[in-house]
Amino acid sequence: MQKKLPYICPSCTAPLQVQSLACSQCDTQVTGSFPLPELLQLNEEEQRFVLEFIRSSGSLKQMAEQLKLSYPSVRNILDDIIEKLNATKAGTKKK
Amino acid sequence: MKQLLFNPFIRIAGARSLLLGWLLMLLTAVIAYFSYCHFDGVIDAHDGCAAPFWIFLAEPLLAWGVAVLVFYLAGIIVARSGVRLIDIAGTLALARWPMLVVAIACFIPVTAPRNLYDIQPSVIMLGIVMLPFIIWMIALLYNAYSISTGVRGGKRIWSFIIALVIAEALSKALFFWLLADYIR
Repeated sequence: MQKKLPYICPSCTAPLQVQSLACSQCDTQVTGSFPLPELLQLNEEEQRFVLEFIRSSGSLKQMAEQLKLSYPSVRNILDDIIEKLNATKAGTKKK
Repeated sequence: MKQLLFNPFIRIAGARSLLLGWLLMLLTAVIAYFSYCHFDGVIDAHDGCAAPFWIFLAEPLLAWGVAVLVFYLAGIIVARSGVRLIDIAGTLALARWPMLVVAIACFIPVTAPRNLYDIQPSVIMLGIVMLPFIIWMIALLYNAYSISTGVRGGKRIWSFIIALVIAEALSKALFFWLLADYIR
């Protein structure tokens, strides 16, 4: 079973923070309160889209061919992600 | 299947959609020439009289052209990112394909009513047959506009309604000005 990284609190839906990091080699643990990077706050599907977008050198046309979607559909997905990232950034700045 | 019928634009848009749409418009014009079906407005279809073939070709082209112009301008005003003319033109051309069925439906023989009390059952039947296809085309136009411009939420609904009303009024005016004399 593939584990999914939770980024939203299942109780109150606020963005989750990293509290502990561990080294798998020497068992060192670092604790604190670290916000998740912006890209990790996207859901799995959106992250996959961003990765594919980078791999296709930012070509929406190529992405459309790969995903078997029309060009404007792919652009709309990208616009949604941009909007989400902007909202996340604005939310982080407020805090 | 539902997506193919109501929102094929998720998968097809741009030049491919434009070519397919034009091909279907040409086929519709050929059928309309024989069934005397006139498309004298962006969302209009009427059983009418005989006319030269170029009229049956010019009518859907004019209706589509006006829709492209108005929806493109609406997209430029309300869209969050750039709108490509080829996407608007392509998706709106393909959105007119239910008119092919309407052109076939116009083979139903009807007698043109002289007044409101003279409406024959065949006229009502033709209207009943045509109406779902007109509604289907409006649904396709909405999805074409939605995908091509990427507009979301309430802004998408009101900008579509305003653009459709303007396009319909403008196309009616242009038909009256450019083509009416050749039909009567």
